[in-house]
Amino acid sequence: MTAALTTPAAPAARTAGVPRQWRWLVRLHRPALIGGGTLVLLTAAALVWLGGPLTDASAAAWKAYNACGFTPRCSYDQESILLYKDVYNWTTIAVLAVPFLVAAWAGGALVGRETESGTARLAWTQGVSPARWLASRLVAPAVLTVAVTGLLAALHHWAWAAGRDRIDTATSWHDMDTFHANGTIPMGLALAGLAAGALAGLLLRRAMAALAAAAATVGVLWAAVHTAVPYLWPSVTRVSGLAEGPLGRGLLVSEGVLTPGGRAEAPCVSSSMHSCRDTLADMGATAFYRDAHPASHYWPLQLVATGILLAVAGLLTYAAFRVLRRTTGTARG
Amino acid sequence: MTVPALEADALGKRFGRRSWALRDCSFRLPAGRVCAVVGPNGAGKSTLLALAAGLLAPTEGTVRVLGAHPAAARSRVGFVDQDKPLYPQLTVAETLRMGADLNPGHWDADTARRVVAGGDLDPDRRIRALSGGQRTRVALALALGKRPELLLLDEPMADLDPLARHELMGLLMGEAAAHGTTVVMSSHVVAELEDSCDHLLLVGGGKIRLSGDIDDLLAAHTRVTAPAGADLAAHEVVESRTTGRQLSAVIRPSGPLPDDWRTTTPSLEDLVLSYLRNPAAPALTPAPETLEAAV
Repeated sequence: MTAALTTPAAPAARTAGVPRQWRWLVRLHRPALIGGGTLVLLTAAALVWLGGPLTDASAAAWKAYNACGFTPRCSYDQESILLYKDVYNWTTIAVLAVPFLVAAWAGGALVGRETESGTARLAWTQGVSPARWLASRLVAPAVLTVAVTGLLAALHHWAWAAGRDRIDTATSWHDMDTFHANGTIPMGLALAGLAAGALAGLLLRRAMAALAAAAATVGVLWAAVHTAVPYLWPSVTRVSGLAEGPLGRGLLVSEGVLTPGGRAEAPCVSSSMHSCRDTLADMGATAFYRDAHPASHYWPLQLVATGILLAVAGLLTYAAFRVLRRTTGTARG
Repeated sequence: MTVPALEADALGKRFGRRSWALRDCSFRLPAGRVCAVVGPNGAGKSTLLALAAGLLAPTEGTVRVLGAHPAAARSRVGFVDQDKPLYPQLTVAETLRMGADLNPGHWDADTARRVVAGGDLDPDRRIRALSGGQRTRVALALALGKRPELLLLDEPMADLDPLARHELMGLLMGEAAAHGTTVVMSSHVVAELEDSCDHLLLVGGGKIRLSGDIDDLLAAHTRVTAPAGADLAAHEVVESRTTGRQLSAVIRPSGPLPDDWRTTTPSLEDLVLSYLRNPAAPALTPAPETLEAAV
C-alpha cells in the first residue's frame, strides 16, 4: 500500500489536470456512485421487465377480459393487470425522481460538504485551481447524468410504447408523468439540478442548506416546465359543430366557443341539451373550438422544454464560476 | 535583492457590507524568514493567511506572494487551515497519494511520509478515526509534501499536546531550514512561537500593529521604571502605568533616557501584550526601504 506513495515522474504539469482529479472524485464519492448505480440498475431492470414479460401478461389478461363480454362467469388474470400498473407507476416515479436526486447530491455532497468542511480550500491549496476544481466537479457528473437520464427515459419510452395499443389502461402520451418520463425533460432538469447544487454549495457553504436549495430549485423548474409546456409549440385548433361539443385528442391547451365577438369560455359542452342550446344561442355561439397538440408535437415540445432547461443549467453554471471567481479572485488559470 | 516572500500593500478585506476583517495592511516579509503572526482571536490573522493563500480575494489593496499574484503562486505555496480540513473517508495513505496526484512534478513523498511516520500512524487508518493531533500531522504532511517555497500555517499547533508540538515544530523548522522555506504561522499564544520565529507580524483590530525582525523590534523598545510624574512626552509611549510613586512604561525611546530611570529590554510576550492592551499605541511597521536595507 505504502509502496504506491513514490513520487510520480510528471514534471511537465504544474497544476493537476482534470482527469487526475476525476480519479479522486470517484474515490471520494464511491458510496454515492455505488448507491446511485444500484438504483439506476434496479430501475432499468424494472423497466425491461415492464416492457417485456409484464406487458405481455397484462395484454393477454386484457384480451381475455375483453373476450368475456357479458358472460356471467369469466376468468382473466387480474393480478397481471394490477402488477403492470403498479410497476409502471413506480418506475415512472423513479425516472422523474432522478433530477431531484442529482440536485440533492450535487448540493449536499459534491460541493456543499466541501465548502462547509473546508476540504475545497484544501484542494485549492493542493495545486488545483478553484476553477479546475469546480470544472472537475461538474463535467464528469454531467456526463454521467446525461447517460443515466438518457438510458432511463429511453427505456421508459420503450416500455410505454410496448403496451400502448395492447393494454386498455395504458397511459396516453400526454398524461403528464408519462409525458415527462418518456423524453428529454428529465435530462434537462437533472443538469439544471447539478448546476443549481454547485451554485448553492458555493453560496451557502452548508451541505444541508445547499441540498434543500438545489432540490427546491428542481421542484420550481419542474413546476414551471409543467405549466409552460403546452405553450412551447404552436397548437392545432379544431373547430366542431355546436351539437358535437369540443373535439380533438391530445395535449389540451384551451377550448371554448366561437362567437361573433371572438373566443369565449364554453358554458356547457353540447347543444343537444336544451338548456345548453339556449345559453349558446344567447351568446351567439357558432361553434366549439379546441386547441390541442397532436402526438406528432411530442418531440418538438420535449426538445424546446429541454433547450430552455439546458439554458438555465448553463446560466447556473456560469453563475457558479462567477461566484467562485469573486470569492477567491482567482478563477483564471 | 531577493523577492519578498509576502508583500501587502494597503490590503483590506471586508465581509458583508461593513465589517472589515482587515484594513489598510502594508508590510513586507523577506524570503527565508520564520514569521509569527500574532494577535487575539478575531484579529484578522486567518483572513490575512487566506488572502495570501489565494483562497479569498482582497476587497482593496494587493497582496503578492513570492513576487506573484497568489493565484499564480498556488503551486509554490503550502497552506494548513485552522480546522485542518481533510477528507474523512480517505485513509492516511490515500490522503498522501492524493497529495502526490494533485501536485504533479513537485511532490516529495519521503518528506510527507516522514511527517506522518513520526506520529506512529497506521497508514490504513481512516482520517475520520484520527485524533486532532494526528489530523494536524497529516495536514502538515500534505503541506510539506508539496515542497513549498512559502508555508502558511493557521494556528498549526492548536490541538497538539506539548510533546507532539515540540516534536512537530522541530520537524517543521528542520524542513524549513533544509529547503530555505519561508514559514508564516499564526497563533494567539506568543510563547509558542518565541523560540522558532525571527520575524513578527502583530495583528490587532484588523490592522498591522508591529511588523519586523523580532530582535530589531525588541531593541527598539524599552521598559522603563521611573518616578511618578516623569515626562515621557519626548518618546513614543506604548503603555504607561503609575502605581504609587512609581511609573512603569513601555516606550520607543527617541533619544537618551535620564540616568535615574531603570531600563530593561522587554520580552516578546511583554511587548506583544503591551500593544494588545493599548489599541491606541502607535504602530511600528518599518517602511519598506529600511526593511530592504536590513535584508
